Amino acid sequence: MNFLIVFGVCIFMEGATWLIHRYIMHGFLWCLHRDHHDHSHNGKLERNDLFFFIFASPAIALLYLGVKQEFSYCFFIGLGISIYGMAYFFVHDVFIHQRAKVFTKTKNPYFLAIRRAHKQHHKHLGKEEGECFGFLWVPVKYFKMYFNKK
Amino acid sequence: MMPYTYLLINFFTVIICFLASFDRRIQFNKLFGKFLLSSTIVAVPFIIWDIWFTAKGVWWFDLNYTLGAKIAGLPVEEWLFFYCIPFACVFTYYCLEKFFNLDWANVLNNLIVFTAVIFLSVTGILYYERIYTLLTVIVTIITLCYLHFIAQKEWLGKASFVYLLLMPGFFAVNGILTGSLIPSPVVNYNPDDFLGVRMGTIPVEDAVYGYSQFLLNIYFFKKITKNEK
Ligand SMILES: [Zn+2]
Ligand SMILES: [Zn+2]
Ligand SMILES: [Zn+2]
Repeated sequence: MNFLIVFGVCIFMEGATWLIHRYIMHGFLWCLHRDHHDHSHNGKLERNDLFFFIFASPAIALLYLGVKQEFSYCFFIGLGISIYGMAYFFVHDVFIHQRAKVFTKTKNPYFLAIRRAHKQHHKHLGKEEGECFGFLWVPVKYFKMYFNKK
Repeated sequence: MMPYTYLLINFFTVIICFLASFDRRIQFNKLFGKFLLSSTIVAVPFIIWDIWFTAKGVWWFDLNYTLGAKIAGLPVEEWLFFYCIPFACVFTYYCLEKFFNLDWANVLNNLIVFTAVIFLSVTGILYYERIYTLLTVIVTIITLCYLHFIAQKEWLGKASFVYLLLMPGFFAVNGILTGSLIPSPVVNYNPDDFLGVRMGTIPVEDAVYGYSQFLLNIYFFKKITKNEK
């Protein structure tokens, strides 16, 4: 049961990320997200990395509440958010933007697909247009692109 | 022999790194002065913390393992500790950075800070009445957030990886101090003031506070050695 909650939250978070990305980051918080698209920032850190706190704050609150209530469902929701956040940073920083030169030669079609879709998202420098706001899940056409290639 | 225990721990922590410093390829001996300056900057707040907690009874020292001389309530060996440990740490980091490319680890910066902040915050809020736990959590969160978001240092991942490599040494030194291999601990902890979770004999808080002390030592050492240009 608890495992299901964690798993469900991770899926839900993908949806929430899409919404946050589509309507908030490309909405009134565009000022924070813009430098992730046009790379206008100086230094390694992007203002966009403050996205960090959007994941961290609710996770901390839920984990705390959950432990207080003897590991109620709150704890597992918090855990789900944390795990999703960790996956997000891992995949986004390591595979997609390749801030380090590791896994550059991956042949894994899933990683190639999300990288491709994210690049597609990055193509748009403006706030209004855009596509592929999702993150770990991307439109089927990108999967098709790489899974069929073999 | 017994009164030399703590002194010898300090000595063995330093000696190999010290001798290796004079190696022609390393030449860390040229940086001794800069190291002393940077480690003093870091030592000051941590020694104040130490004096405060010793006075408060959060921990206390078994003086049978020391020569007996004290400054501000701390055995002289404890003062040396704030130079010996950082010396071994900074030296190791310096060498590894010089001879290996560990930049790949920096890709994990966001992930490390994210995970640590969540984990530490929750622990801190849950056990806020345990003062050693609380202060360790606060210091580490501030250190990580400062280095990552404000100073924007790229080497967090690399340094964390080196800290991981230093763990065997940490377990040896802190293990003995907290009572492994010797009949009773050199440093004793008040059970009401920390989580009580120990790795072997070492309270987890020691490893976490050691992490922030390590990061700050690297930070100031890098800052000071870069100024020479
Ligand atoms: Zn975007
Ligand atoms: Zn980018
Ligand atoms: Zn991106």
